[in-house]
Amino acid sequence: MIITPKIVLRLALLMLVAVVVQLAFFSRISLLGASPNVLPVVVVCLGLLGGAVVGAVCGFAVGFLLDSALLQTLGVSSLVLLTAGYLAGRYRESFDVTSPLIAPALAGSLTLLASAGFAAVQLMLGVESPVSLLVLRELVMQAIFGLLLAFPVYPLVRRVLSPALVEDTPRRGRLPIPFRTA
Amino acid sequence: MYRKQVRRRRAVLVLLVIVSLVLLSSHFSEGSSGPLHAIQRGLATILAPIEEGADRALKPARDLVGWFDDTFDARGENESLKTEVQDLRERIVAAEAATKENEQLRGLLKLGEGGGIAGFESVTARVIGRSPTVWYSTVTLDRGSSSQLAVDDPVVTGDGLVGRVTETTAGTAQVTLITDHRSAVSATAVPDGPSGVVKPEVGDPQDLLLDFIENESQVREGQTVVTAGWTSGRLSSAFPYGIPVGRVTEATIGEQETYARVHVEPFADVRDLDFVQVLTTAGAADGASADIGAEG
Repeated sequence: MIITPKIVLRLALLMLVAVVVQLAFFSRISLLGASPNVLPVVVVCLGLLGGAVVGAVCGFAVGFLLDSALLQTLGVSSLVLLTAGYLAGRYRESFDVTSPLIAPALAGSLTLLASAGFAAVQLMLGVESPVSLLVLRELVMQAIFGLLLAFPVYPLVRRVLSPALVEDTPRRGRLPIPFRTA
Repeated sequence: MYRKQVRRRRAVLVLLVIVSLVLLSSHFSEGSSGPLHAIQRGLATILAPIEEGADRALKPARDLVGWFDDTFDARGENESLKTEVQDLRERIVAAEAATKENEQLRGLLKLGEGGGIAGFESVTARVIGRSPTVWYSTVTLDRGSSSQLAVDDPVVTGDGLVGRVTETTAGTAQVTLITDHRSAVSATAVPDGPSGVVKPEVGDPQDLLLDFIENESQVREGQTVVTAGWTSGRLSSAFPYGIPVGRVTEATIGEQETYARVHVEPFADVRDLDFVQVLTTAGAADGASADIGAEG
Protein backbone atom coordinates (compact mmCIF):
# COMPACT_ATOMS: atom_id res chain seq x y z
CA MET A 1 0.00 0.00 0.00
CA ILE A 2 1.29 3.46 -0.89
CA ILE A 3 0.76 5.73 2.08
CA THR A 4 0.09 9.36 1.17
CA PRO A 5 -1.57 12.11 3.26
CA LYS A 6 -4.78 11.57 1.27
CA ILE A 7 -4.76 7.86 2.05
CA VAL A 8 -4.12 8.57 5.74
CA LEU A 9 -7.15 10.87 5.67
CA ARG A 10 -9.23 8.18 3.98
CA LEU A 11 -8.09 5.62 6.54
CA ALA A 12 -8.95 7.98 9.41
CA LEU A 13 -12.41 8.67 8.00
CA LEU A 14 -13.01 4.98 7.39
CA MET A 15 -12.10 4.13 10.98
CA LEU A 16 -14.23 6.95 12.38
CA VAL A 17 -17.24 5.87 10.32
CA ALA A 18 -16.70 2.24 11.38
CA VAL A 19 -16.65 3.15 15.08
CA VAL A 20 -19.72 5.40 14.82
CA VAL A 21 -21.69 2.81 12.83
CA GLN A 22 -20.69 0.13 15.32
CA LEU A 23 -21.84 2.16 18.32
CA ALA A 24 -25.01 3.57 16.78
CA PHE A 25 -26.12 0.57 14.75
CA PHE A 26 -24.47 -2.82 15.14
CA SER A 27 -24.11 -2.69 18.94
CA ARG A 28 -27.76 -1.71 19.26
CA ILE A 29 -29.28 -4.51 17.22
CA SER A 30 -29.75 -8.05 18.37
CA LEU A 31 -29.87 -10.93 15.91
CA LEU A 32 -30.46 -14.40 17.31
CA GLY A 33 -29.47 -13.11 20.71
CA ALA A 34 -26.15 -11.54 19.70
CA SER A 35 -24.90 -8.23 18.36
CA PRO A 36 -22.56 -8.12 15.35
CA ASN A 37 -19.18 -6.44 15.73
CA VAL A 38 -17.96 -4.84 12.53
CA LEU A 39 -14.75 -3.37 13.97
CA PRO A 40 -12.58 -6.53 13.88
CA VAL A 41 -13.86 -7.08 10.32
CA VAL A 42 -12.77 -3.61 9.19
CA VAL A 43 -9.39 -4.00 10.90
CA VAL A 44 -8.85 -7.42 9.31
CA CYS A 45 -9.73 -6.00 5.88
CA LEU A 46 -7.25 -3.15 6.40
CA GLY A 47 -4.58 -5.66 7.46
CA LEU A 48 -5.29 -7.84 4.43
CA LEU A 49 -5.04 -4.89 2.06
CA GLY A 50 -2.29 -2.90 3.71
CA GLY A 51 -0.10 -5.43 5.49
CA ALA A 52 0.89 -6.06 9.09
CA VAL A 53 2.01 -2.52 9.98
CA VAL A 54 -1.11 -0.86 8.55
CA GLY A 55 -3.30 -3.52 10.19
CA ALA A 56 -1.68 -3.09 13.60
CA VAL A 57 -1.70 0.72 13.51
CA CYS A 58 -5.32 0.86 12.32
CA GLY A 59 -6.35 -1.75 14.92
CA PHE A 60 -4.73 0.31 17.65
CA ALA A 61 -6.39 3.53 16.43
CA VAL A 62 -9.85 1.95 16.13
CA GLY A 63 -9.51 0.48 19.62
CA PHE A 64 -8.40 3.82 21.07
CA LEU A 65 -11.32 5.61 19.41
CA LEU A 66 -13.79 2.99 20.65
CA ASP A 67 -12.53 3.07 24.25
CA SER A 68 -12.62 6.87 24.20
CA ALA A 69 -16.15 7.06 22.80
CA LEU A 70 -17.40 4.60 25.41
CA LEU A 71 -15.37 6.12 28.27
CA GLN A 72 -14.06 2.65 29.10
CA THR A 73 -10.58 1.52 30.13
CA LEU A 74 -8.13 2.74 27.49
CA GLY A 75 -5.89 0.15 25.89
CA VAL A 76 -8.09 -2.95 26.13
CA SER A 77 -9.73 -2.71 22.70
CA SER A 78 -6.51 -1.32 21.19
CA LEU A 79 -4.54 -4.36 22.33
CA VAL A 80 -7.09 -6.80 20.98
CA LEU A 81 -7.71 -5.09 17.64
CA LEU A 82 -4.06 -4.38 16.87
CA THR A 83 -3.41 -8.11 17.27
CA ALA A 84 -6.22 -8.92 14.83
CA GLY A 85 -4.96 -6.35 12.31
CA TYR A 86 -1.36 -7.54 12.62
CA LEU A 87 -2.27 -11.20 12.12
CA ALA A 88 -4.38 -10.37 9.06
CA GLY A 89 -1.47 -8.38 7.65
CA ARG A 90 0.99 -11.19 8.33
CA TYR A 91 -1.31 -13.57 6.50
CA ARG A 92 -1.30 -11.28 3.50
CA GLU A 93 2.50 -11.02 3.61
CA SER A 94 2.96 -14.79 3.90
CA PHE A 95 0.32 -16.11 1.54
CA ASP A 96 -1.47 -15.01 -1.60
CA VAL A 97 -5.04 -13.88 -1.16
CA THR A 98 -6.29 -15.84 -4.14
CA SER A 99 -9.77 -16.89 -3.12
CA PRO A 100 -12.63 -14.47 -2.44
CA LEU A 101 -13.44 -16.60 0.60
CA ILE A 102 -10.16 -15.87 2.37
CA ALA A 103 -11.21 -12.43 3.64
CA PRO A 104 -14.50 -13.69 5.16
CA ALA A 105 -12.85 -16.77 6.66
CA LEU A 106 -10.08 -14.67 8.16
CA ALA A 107 -12.56 -12.03 9.37
CA GLY A 108 -14.66 -14.72 11.07
CA SER A 109 -11.73 -16.42 12.78
CA LEU A 110 -10.03 -13.18 13.85
CA THR A 111 -13.34 -11.77 15.13
CA LEU A 112 -13.58 -14.87 17.29
CA LEU A 113 -10.01 -14.31 18.45
CA ALA A 114 -10.68 -10.60 19.15
CA SER A 115 -13.89 -11.32 21.11
CA ALA A 116 -12.21 -14.09 23.08
CA GLY A 117 -9.18 -11.86 23.63
CA PHE A 118 -11.37 -9.06 24.96
CA ALA A 119 -13.12 -11.51 27.28
CA ALA A 120 -9.74 -12.84 28.46
CA VAL A 121 -8.42 -9.32 29.19
CA GLN A 122 -11.61 -8.53 31.12
CA LEU A 123 -11.21 -11.74 33.12
CA MET A 124 -7.61 -10.85 33.89
CA LEU A 125 -8.69 -7.40 35.06
CA GLY A 126 -11.06 -9.08 37.50
CA VAL A 127 -14.61 -10.31 37.04
CA GLU A 128 -16.33 -10.74 40.37
CA SER A 129 -19.51 -12.30 39.01
CA PRO A 130 -20.16 -15.76 37.59
CA VAL A 131 -19.75 -15.97 33.84
CA SER A 132 -22.61 -17.43 31.85
CA LEU A 133 -22.04 -20.10 29.23
CA LEU A 134 -24.01 -17.86 26.90
CA VAL A 135 -20.77 -15.91 26.46
CA LEU A 136 -19.50 -18.83 24.38
CA ARG A 137 -22.61 -18.78 22.19
CA GLU A 138 -22.19 -15.05 21.69
CA LEU A 139 -18.51 -15.45 20.77
CA VAL A 140 -19.45 -17.99 18.10
CA MET A 141 -22.32 -15.83 16.83
CA GLN A 142 -20.01 -12.81 16.57
CA ALA A 143 -17.57 -14.91 14.55
CA ILE A 144 -20.36 -15.95 12.19
CA PHE A 145 -21.52 -12.34 11.86
CA GLY A 146 -17.91 -11.33 11.23
CA LEU A 147 -17.65 -13.88 8.44
CA LEU A 148 -20.88 -12.66 6.84
CA LEU A 149 -20.06 -8.97 7.25
CA ALA A 150 -16.73 -9.42 5.48
CA PHE A 151 -18.53 -10.13 2.18
CA PRO A 152 -19.74 -6.51 1.81
CA VAL A 153 -17.06 -4.84 3.98
CA TYR A 154 -13.95 -6.17 2.20
CA PRO A 155 -14.89 -4.84 -1.28
CA LEU A 156 -15.99 -1.57 0.32
CA VAL A 157 -12.68 -1.07 2.15
CA ARG A 158 -10.82 -2.11 -1.00
CA ARG A 159 -12.73 0.49 -2.99
CA VAL A 160 -12.01 3.24 -0.45
CA LEU A 161 -8.29 2.43 -0.50
CA SER A 162 -8.04 1.59 -4.21
CA PRO A 163 -5.76 4.56 -5.13
CA ALA A 164 -3.16 3.28 -2.69
CA LEU A 165 -3.26 -0.41 -3.53
CA VAL A 166 -0.49 -2.03 -5.51
CA GLU A 167 -1.38 -5.18 -7.41
CA ASP A 168 0.56 -8.02 -5.85
CA THR A 169 2.49 -10.47 -7.96
CA PRO A 170 3.41 -13.71 -6.22
CA ARG A 171 7.04 -13.72 -5.05
CA ARG A 172 9.36 -16.68 -5.32
CA GLY A 173 9.21 -18.73 -2.19
CA ARG A 174 5.92 -17.22 -1.16
CA LEU A 175 3.25 -19.76 -0.40
CA PRO A 176 0.27 -19.35 -2.76
CA ILE A 177 -2.21 -20.88 -0.39
CA PRO A 178 -1.96 -21.64 3.27
CA PHE A 179 -0.37 -24.90 4.35
CA ARG A 180 0.43 -25.88 0.77
CA THR A 181 3.61 -27.55 1.85
CA ALA A 182 1.78 -29.70 4.38
CA MET B 1 15.87 -4.65 2.45
CA TYR B 2 13.52 -7.47 3.46
CA ARG B 3 15.27 -7.82 6.84
CA LYS B 4 14.83 -4.09 7.40
CA GLN B 5 11.11 -4.41 6.67
CA VAL B 6 10.78 -7.30 9.11
CA ARG B 7 12.61 -5.33 11.80
CA ARG B 8 10.39 -2.29 11.23
CA ARG B 9 7.27 -4.44 11.37
CA ARG B 10 8.30 -6.07 14.62
CA ALA B 11 9.30 -2.73 16.11
CA VAL B 12 5.88 -1.23 15.29
CA LEU B 13 4.11 -4.23 16.82
CA VAL B 14 6.17 -4.16 20.01
CA LEU B 15 5.76 -0.38 20.31
CA LEU B 16 1.98 -0.55 19.90
CA VAL B 17 1.63 -3.41 22.39
CA ILE B 18 3.72 -1.48 24.92
CA VAL B 19 1.69 1.71 24.36
CA SER B 20 -1.55 -0.29 24.83
CA LEU B 21 -0.30 -1.82 28.07
CA VAL B 22 0.92 1.55 29.36
CA LEU B 23 -2.46 3.10 28.50
CA LEU B 24 -4.24 0.25 30.26
CA SER B 25 -2.22 0.40 33.47
CA SER B 26 -2.09 4.22 33.57
CA HIS B 27 -5.83 4.47 33.01
CA PHE B 28 -6.40 2.12 35.91
CA SER B 29 -4.00 3.74 38.31
CA GLU B 30 -4.77 7.42 37.71
CA GLY B 31 -7.79 9.14 39.20
CA SER B 32 -10.78 10.27 37.17
CA SER B 33 -9.21 13.74 36.94
CA GLY B 34 -5.98 12.38 35.43
CA PRO B 35 -4.66 13.42 32.00
CA LEU B 36 -5.73 10.23 30.22
CA HIS B 37 -9.28 10.57 31.52
CA ALA B 38 -9.25 14.21 30.41
CA ILE B 39 -8.13 13.26 26.90
CA GLN B 40 -10.76 10.54 26.81
CA ARG B 41 -13.52 12.90 27.92
CA GLY B 42 -12.38 15.42 25.30
CA LEU B 43 -12.56 12.83 22.54
CA ALA B 44 -15.93 11.57 23.80
CA THR B 45 -17.28 15.14 23.76
CA ILE B 46 -16.12 15.59 20.16
CA LEU B 47 -17.59 12.24 19.11
CA ALA B 48 -20.92 12.71 20.92
CA PRO B 49 -22.67 14.89 18.28
CA ILE B 50 -21.51 12.54 15.51
CA GLU B 51 -22.82 9.55 17.46
CA GLU B 52 -26.09 11.31 18.14
CA GLY B 53 -26.56 12.17 14.45
CA ALA B 54 -25.73 8.61 13.43
CA ASP B 55 -28.08 7.26 16.08
CA ARG B 56 -30.99 9.26 14.66
CA ALA B 57 -30.09 8.52 11.03
CA LEU B 58 -29.73 4.78 11.62
CA LYS B 59 -32.82 4.35 13.76
CA PRO B 60 -35.06 3.24 10.84
CA ALA B 61 -32.51 0.61 9.86
CA ARG B 62 -32.26 -0.56 13.47
CA ASP B 63 -36.03 -0.75 13.74
CA LEU B 64 -36.17 -2.83 10.57
CA VAL B 65 -33.65 -5.33 11.91
CA GLY B 66 -35.48 -5.28 15.24
CA TRP B 67 -38.76 -6.05 13.50
CA PHE B 68 -37.28 -9.14 11.84
CA ASP B 69 -35.76 -10.32 15.11
CA ASP B 70 -38.97 -9.66 17.04
CA THR B 71 -41.04 -11.55 14.46
CA PHE B 72 -38.67 -14.48 14.80
CA ASP B 73 -38.97 -14.42 18.57
CA ALA B 74 -42.70 -13.69 18.68
CA ARG B 75 -43.78 -17.23 17.93
CA GLY B 76 -42.02 -18.65 20.98
CA GLU B 77 -43.09 -15.76 23.17
CA ASN B 78 -46.80 -16.13 22.43
CA GLU B 79 -47.40 -19.07 24.73
CA SER B 80 -45.42 -17.69 27.63
CA LEU B 81 -47.16 -14.32 27.26
CA LYS B 82 -50.59 -15.97 27.54
CA THR B 83 -49.56 -17.51 30.85
CA GLU B 84 -48.10 -14.21 31.97
CA VAL B 85 -51.32 -12.32 31.13
CA GLN B 86 -53.25 -14.71 33.33
CA ASP B 87 -50.79 -14.15 36.14
CA LEU B 88 -50.83 -10.39 35.64
CA ARG B 89 -54.63 -10.22 35.81
CA GLU B 90 -54.47 -11.72 39.27
CA ARG B 91 -51.73 -9.31 40.23
CA ILE B 92 -53.67 -6.27 38.96
CA VAL B 93 -56.47 -7.02 41.38
CA ALA B 94 -53.98 -7.17 44.23
CA ALA B 95 -52.11 -4.11 42.94
CA GLU B 96 -55.25 -1.98 42.78
CA ALA B 97 -55.86 -2.59 46.44
CA ALA B 98 -52.22 -1.85 47.20
CA THR B 99 -52.29 1.39 45.18
CA LYS B 100 -55.28 2.62 47.14
CA GLU B 101 -53.51 1.83 50.38
CA ASN B 102 -50.33 3.46 49.06
CA GLU B 103 -52.17 6.70 48.22
CA GLN B 104 -53.53 6.88 51.71
CA LEU B 105 -50.10 6.26 53.24
CA ARG B 106 -48.45 8.81 50.90
CA GLY B 107 -50.99 11.34 51.99
CA LEU B 108 -50.14 10.59 55.56
CA LEU B 109 -46.40 10.85 55.01
CA LYS B 110 -46.70 13.84 52.59
CA LEU B 111 -44.40 12.20 50.00
CA GLY B 112 -43.95 13.44 46.43
CA GLU B 113 -46.77 12.81 44.00
CA GLY B 114 -46.72 11.68 40.35
CA GLY B 115 -45.08 8.32 40.76
CA GLY B 116 -41.62 9.88 40.99
CA ILE B 117 -39.10 8.98 43.63
CA ALA B 118 -38.84 11.39 46.49
CA GLY B 119 -35.64 13.44 46.47
CA PHE B 120 -34.85 12.73 42.82
CA GLU B 121 -35.52 14.59 39.61
CA SER B 122 -35.63 12.63 36.39
CA VAL B 123 -33.80 13.62 33.22
CA THR B 124 -34.75 11.82 30.03
CA ALA B 125 -31.77 10.86 27.88
CA ARG B 126 -31.28 9.10 24.58
CA VAL B 127 -28.94 6.12 24.28
CA ILE B 128 -26.41 6.98 21.57
CA GLY B 129 -23.92 4.16 21.92
CA ARG B 130 -23.40 0.74 23.35
CA SER B 131 -20.33 -1.30 24.15
CA PRO B 132 -19.86 -3.93 21.39
CA THR B 133 -18.58 -6.61 23.72
CA VAL B 134 -20.31 -9.75 24.91
CA TRP B 135 -20.42 -8.42 28.46
CA TYR B 136 -23.44 -6.08 28.16
CA SER B 137 -21.51 -3.58 30.18
CA THR B 138 -22.07 0.06 29.23
CA VAL B 139 -24.19 2.43 27.20
CA THR B 140 -23.56 6.08 26.37
CA LEU B 141 -26.22 8.76 26.86
CA ASP B 142 -26.60 12.06 25.03
CA ARG B 143 -26.85 14.03 28.30
CA GLY B 144 -24.01 14.81 30.65
CA SER B 145 -22.94 17.04 33.49
CA SER B 146 -24.41 20.10 31.75
CA SER B 147 -27.85 18.47 32.25
CA GLN B 148 -27.12 17.97 35.96
CA LEU B 149 -26.19 14.32 35.55
CA ALA B 150 -23.63 13.11 38.06
CA VAL B 151 -21.69 9.96 38.81
CA ASP B 152 -23.75 7.37 40.74
CA ASP B 153 -27.12 8.66 39.52
CA PRO B 154 -29.52 5.71 39.05
CA VAL B 155 -30.73 5.05 35.50
CA VAL B 156 -34.15 3.53 34.88
CA THR B 157 -36.65 2.83 32.12
CA GLY B 158 -40.41 2.45 32.44
CA ASP B 159 -39.76 -1.24 33.13
CA GLY B 160 -37.19 -0.96 35.89
CA LEU B 161 -33.59 -0.40 36.89
CA VAL B 162 -31.00 -0.23 34.12
CA GLY B 163 -27.80 0.80 35.89
CA ARG B 164 -26.04 3.88 37.17
CA VAL B 165 -23.96 6.72 35.76
CA THR B 166 -20.25 6.00 36.15
CA GLU B 167 -18.63 8.75 34.09
CA THR B 168 -19.75 12.08 32.70
CA THR B 169 -18.57 14.64 30.20
CA ALA B 170 -20.36 17.92 29.51
CA GLY B 171 -22.56 16.35 26.84
CA THR B 172 -22.46 12.60 27.47
CA ALA B 173 -22.65 10.10 30.28
CA GLN B 174 -21.51 6.52 30.55
CA VAL B 175 -23.96 4.17 32.22
CA THR B 176 -22.70 0.93 33.74
CA LEU B 177 -25.54 -1.54 33.27
CA ILE B 178 -26.79 -3.91 35.95
CA THR B 179 -25.55 -6.70 33.67
CA ASP B 180 -21.94 -5.48 33.88
CA HIS B 181 -19.56 -7.68 35.84
CA ARG B 182 -18.74 -4.83 38.25
CA SER B 183 -22.39 -4.30 39.14
CA ALA B 184 -23.83 -5.16 42.54
CA VAL B 185 -27.12 -3.66 43.69
CA SER B 186 -28.54 -4.10 47.18
CA ALA B 187 -32.09 -5.32 46.66
CA THR B 188 -34.97 -6.98 48.39
CA ALA B 189 -37.71 -9.37 47.30
CA VAL B 190 -41.21 -8.05 47.94
CA PRO B 191 -43.51 -8.60 49.65
CA ASP B 192 -41.91 -9.83 52.88
CA GLY B 193 -38.82 -11.20 51.16
CA PRO B 194 -35.21 -11.17 52.27
CA SER B 195 -32.56 -8.66 51.17
CA GLY B 196 -29.43 -9.47 49.22
CA VAL B 197 -27.20 -8.23 46.46
CA VAL B 198 -28.24 -8.43 42.82
CA LYS B 199 -25.27 -9.40 40.65
CA PRO B 200 -25.17 -10.28 36.98
CA GLU B 201 -24.47 -13.62 35.42
CA VAL B 202 -21.93 -12.17 33.00
CA GLY B 203 -22.84 -12.63 29.37
CA ASP B 204 -26.52 -13.36 29.98
CA PRO B 205 -28.59 -10.16 29.87
CA GLN B 206 -31.73 -12.08 30.83
CA ASP B 207 -30.45 -13.41 34.13
CA LEU B 208 -29.38 -11.76 37.36
CA LEU B 209 -28.53 -13.39 40.67
CA LEU B 210 -29.89 -12.27 44.03
CA ASP B 211 -26.95 -13.31 46.14
CA PHE B 212 -25.98 -13.22 49.80
CA ILE B 213 -29.41 -14.00 51.19
CA GLU B 214 -29.80 -16.32 54.15
CA ASN B 215 -30.39 -19.98 53.35
CA GLU B 216 -33.48 -20.10 55.56
CA SER B 217 -35.09 -17.20 53.72
CA GLN B 218 -38.26 -17.94 51.85
CA VAL B 219 -38.13 -16.68 48.28
CA ARG B 220 -40.89 -17.66 45.92
CA GLU B 221 -40.85 -17.82 42.16
CA GLY B 222 -42.65 -14.80 40.73
CA GLN B 223 -41.76 -12.43 43.58
CA THR B 224 -40.68 -8.97 42.52
CA VAL B 225 -37.21 -7.72 43.41
CA VAL B 226 -36.76 -4.00 44.08
CA THR B 227 -33.81 -1.90 45.18
CA ALA B 228 -33.31 -1.96 48.95
CA GLY B 229 -32.18 1.65 49.35
CA TRP B 230 -30.26 1.36 52.58
CA THR B 231 -28.88 4.21 54.67
CA SER B 232 -26.20 3.98 57.31
CA GLY B 233 -25.09 7.24 58.87
CA ARG B 234 -23.71 9.51 56.16
CA LEU B 235 -23.46 6.60 53.74
CA SER B 236 -26.44 5.68 51.63
CA SER B 237 -27.15 3.42 48.70
CA ALA B 238 -26.88 4.97 45.24
CA PHE B 239 -30.35 3.62 44.57
CA PRO B 240 -33.42 4.71 46.49
CA TYR B 241 -35.82 2.11 47.80
CA GLY B 242 -38.41 0.69 45.47
CA ILE B 243 -37.00 0.75 41.94
CA PRO B 244 -38.19 -2.50 40.30
CA VAL B 245 -35.26 -4.70 39.27
CA GLY B 246 -36.82 -7.95 38.12
CA ARG B 247 -38.83 -11.05 38.91
CA VAL B 248 -37.63 -14.20 40.69
CA THR B 249 -37.47 -17.06 38.20
CA GLU B 250 -35.66 -19.72 40.19
CA ALA B 251 -34.49 -20.19 43.76
CA THR B 252 -31.81 -22.81 44.29
CA ILE B 253 -30.37 -23.54 47.70
CA GLY B 254 -27.29 -25.74 47.89
CA GLU B 255 -27.10 -27.84 51.04
CA GLN B 256 -23.48 -26.92 51.68
CA GLU B 257 -23.97 -23.24 50.94
CA THR B 258 -24.47 -20.55 53.53
CA TYR B 259 -26.33 -18.33 51.11
CA ALA B 260 -29.16 -19.08 48.74
CA ARG B 261 -28.77 -18.06 45.14
CA VAL B 262 -31.88 -16.74 43.46
CA HIS B 263 -32.20 -16.16 39.73
CA VAL B 264 -33.92 -12.93 38.74
CA GLU B 265 -35.10 -11.96 35.28
CA PRO B 266 -34.60 -8.20 34.89
CA PHE B 267 -37.64 -6.15 33.91
CA ALA B 268 -35.60 -3.81 31.71
CA ASP B 269 -34.18 -5.25 28.51
CA VAL B 270 -30.65 -3.82 28.40
CA ARG B 271 -30.23 -4.96 24.80
CA ASP B 272 -33.00 -2.71 23.59
CA LEU B 273 -32.62 0.71 25.12
CA ASP B 274 -33.53 3.85 23.22
CA PHE B 275 -34.51 6.26 25.98
CA VAL B 276 -33.80 6.11 29.69
CA GLN B 277 -34.45 8.28 32.69
CA VAL B 278 -31.63 9.38 34.93
CA LEU B 279 -32.64 10.08 38.51
CA THR B 280 -30.51 13.02 39.46
CA THR B 281 -29.81 14.10 42.98
CA ALA B 282 -28.46 17.51 41.95
CA GLY B 283 -29.23 19.85 44.79
CA ALA B 284 -31.09 17.16 46.68
CA ALA B 285 -29.04 14.89 48.93
CA ASP B 286 -25.44 15.46 49.97
CA GLY B 287 -24.75 12.08 51.54
CA ALA B 288 -22.00 9.93 50.20
CA SER B 289 -23.19 6.91 48.31
CA ALA B 290 -21.86 3.43 48.04
CA ASP B 291 -23.54 0.62 46.21
CA ILE B 292 -22.71 -1.01 42.94
CA GLY B 293 -19.36 -1.21 41.30
CA ALA B 294 -15.88 -1.33 42.59
CA GLU B 295 -16.98 0.64 45.63
CA GLY B 296 -18.83 -2.47 46.71
